[in-house]
Amino acid sequence: MQRHSAYRQPTRAAALLCALLLLAAVARAGSTPLIVSSKLDSEATMLSQMVRLVLNGAGITTIDRTRIGATPVVRKALLTGEIDLYVEYSGNAEFFFNDSADPAWKDLRQGYALGARLDYAANHIVWLTPAPVSNSWALAVRRDLAERAQLRTMSDFARWVRGGGAVVLACSAEFANAGTLRALEQTYHFTLSSAQLIVLAGGETAATIGAAAAGTNGTNTAMVYGTDGGITAANLVMLADDLHEQPIYAPVPLIREAALRSNPQIAQLVRPLMESLDLATLRALNARVQIDGEADEAVAADYLRAHGFLK
Amino acid sequence: MLQPLPLWHRVDPLGALLTAVGALALATLPFVVFKANRIVPGEAHGLLQVLPAGLALACQVALLIAATVALVRFSAPLRLAVALATIAVLALALASAADALTPPGNKVVRVAAGGAFWLLLVCSGLMATDAITRLRPGPLVRVALLAGFLLVTLLVLAHGTFDHLSVMREYAVNAGRFPRALRQHVLLALGSLAAAVVVALPLGILCHRLPRLRPGVLGTLNVIQTIPAIALFGILMAPLGALAAALPWVGDLGIRGIGAAPAAVALFLYSLLPIVANTLQGLEHVSRSAVEAARGMGMTAWQVLTGVELILALPVILTGVRVVLVQNIGMTTVAALIGGGGLGTFVFQGIGQTAIDLVLLGAIPIVVLAFSAAVLLDALIEVMQRAPS
Repeated sequence: MQRHSAYRQPTRAAALLCALLLLAAVARAGSTPLIVSSKLDSEATMLSQMVRLVLNGAGITTIDRTRIGATPVVRKALLTGEIDLYVEYSGNAEFFFNDSADPAWKDLRQGYALGARLDYAANHIVWLTPAPVSNSWALAVRRDLAERAQLRTMSDFARWVRGGGAVVLACSAEFANAGTLRALEQTYHFTLSSAQLIVLAGGETAATIGAAAAGTNGTNTAMVYGTDGGITAANLVMLADDLHEQPIYAPVPLIREAALRSNPQIAQLVRPLMESLDLATLRALNARVQIDGEADEAVAADYLRAHGFLK
Repeated sequence: MLQPLPLWHRVDPLGALLTAVGALALATLPFVVFKANRIVPGEAHGLLQVLPAGLALACQVALLIAATVALVRFSAPLRLAVALATIAVLALALASAADALTPPGNKVVRVAAGGAFWLLLVCSGLMATDAITRLRPGPLVRVALLAGFLLVTLLVLAHGTFDHLSVMREYAVNAGRFPRALRQHVLLALGSLAAAVVVALPLGILCHRLPRLRPGVLGTLNVIQTIPAIALFGILMAPLGALAAALPWVGDLGIRGIGAAPAAVALFLYSLLPIVANTLQGLEHVSRSAVEAARGMGMTAWQVLTGVELILALPVILTGVRVVLVQNIGMTTVAALIGGGGLGTFVFQGIGQTAIDLVLLGAIPIVVLAFSAAVLLDALIEVMQRAPS
């Protein structure tokens, strides 16, 4: 009798497991919602939310799995099919495919085409329409300095520094040490001594912009991202990369081919949205999130409603 | 005839230290920091500069009373009451300072507590805990005190008293996501603990019965304990992702390389060592005579284990559980980096935007959770220790 009941217990557990599996299989067989994800930072999240809300508005069911981690985490999730779509920056493909020598990355169109080709060939990832902006690293100077020394481009800046301009640059350790600064120095022919650098350990642009805005320890120049919300708010002027030294980091929604195939209209839905985003717009939207502290999703929804992408 | 004690003997040393630190903080550090928006550097304001005159005077009087009670050896209940009242006064002063500094309708300015506020809060908190320690309340009273404190705090927050404070501004923006993050955080911390107890308890008993196993088991668990959390989360992403890819139903059950699964597995692994070690230690310290007596009464091995040994070892085992619970609540924060959610989402998002208030929105509840868990389990352990005798 005892043996009998001991035998029965596992059968019941097995039956339960089978029922669970069946349930899971049924759930899987139904319409699969599109899993939209994003990196942790506010701009990437806001853009992914825009895409998600536009798709929702067109009747495509989505699951919000935004802010799941840094670039390697999100990228891996896309490649393994754990997520279907997220907004990446075109220039990052340079690192995904370990191909930093190609000059194509420094041009929006060519870089986009190259990244799209490589990613499709290797991973069957489709690059949707990019936004015509670049979020690459740049330098910004205080407006009073820009007006006094007539600084508009990096070439102007280099000339000013060579002429003995009293520059103090706040930047991240990554910017100073990983070759970005050296590449700028070589292209534009200027050099900054270590006394002219304030290297911030964390090196978020909010900190570098804050230092330049407040003139901390004489800081008058800050490392920024092209679409930084703080640039205008902190009264800084971004210097144009007139010799196109920096790779272009244009926001691009990436989607798995399988997910796109089951909803082919996604490409057409995303195109007008991405094309509508210019540098000033993105900066203003980022400022609302980074400086005023509004929720990224709310800012995204506001923009979509104001521009007729969402009713 | 009794001579009154000289004044020197009536000075409370801890109170003197707390008063000195509090006075120094108030004199040298800002009470509130005002920022025109989230990223510009803040302007410091002293307590007296921002409050309306009447309120500032009342606040000063309250702090003077607090200092007097802290300095002189008054009875513990009075010291506790005054310490709690001081915390309330500080909180209200902060709230009115935020109200006074915020232009009507402005949602961009940020008013945050400054160094003086935090130090005064720590001083009053220490005075309160010192008084509570002297009162030696029973476990149930301590839990009731905690529950009362949390209830009052939640009511005041719900009432909107602190709505102009920067942390609450961040809460208002993230109110939709906060309950889910809190739930995820608690579930991850408790779920991994529960799973760990199920595995670690038998493992600890096994190690006690078979001493040969001890070096291997404890050594392995020790090595796991030394792997940094973020590294372990990263290491687990690959095998779990592969598992979900190979067996789709596993993925459908929520076990994927990214999300809560790797975090739960990592927290589970970290939880094993304290519970196994404490189970082993608890069983070793069960008195031989109790076991012999139980055997003498004709109990089976199973009855001796569950009816005598585990009961006597329970306080020590629970101490291990307490360590794990507090540790898990803190460590779950890192889960946000691999899509596991939880309160860490706010912490890392805040770090990314250099928005300290957003960091605090995640960090303060984590501290409160860990502190509450510690008080609850300490009380439980004490009840258990009293029960057998």
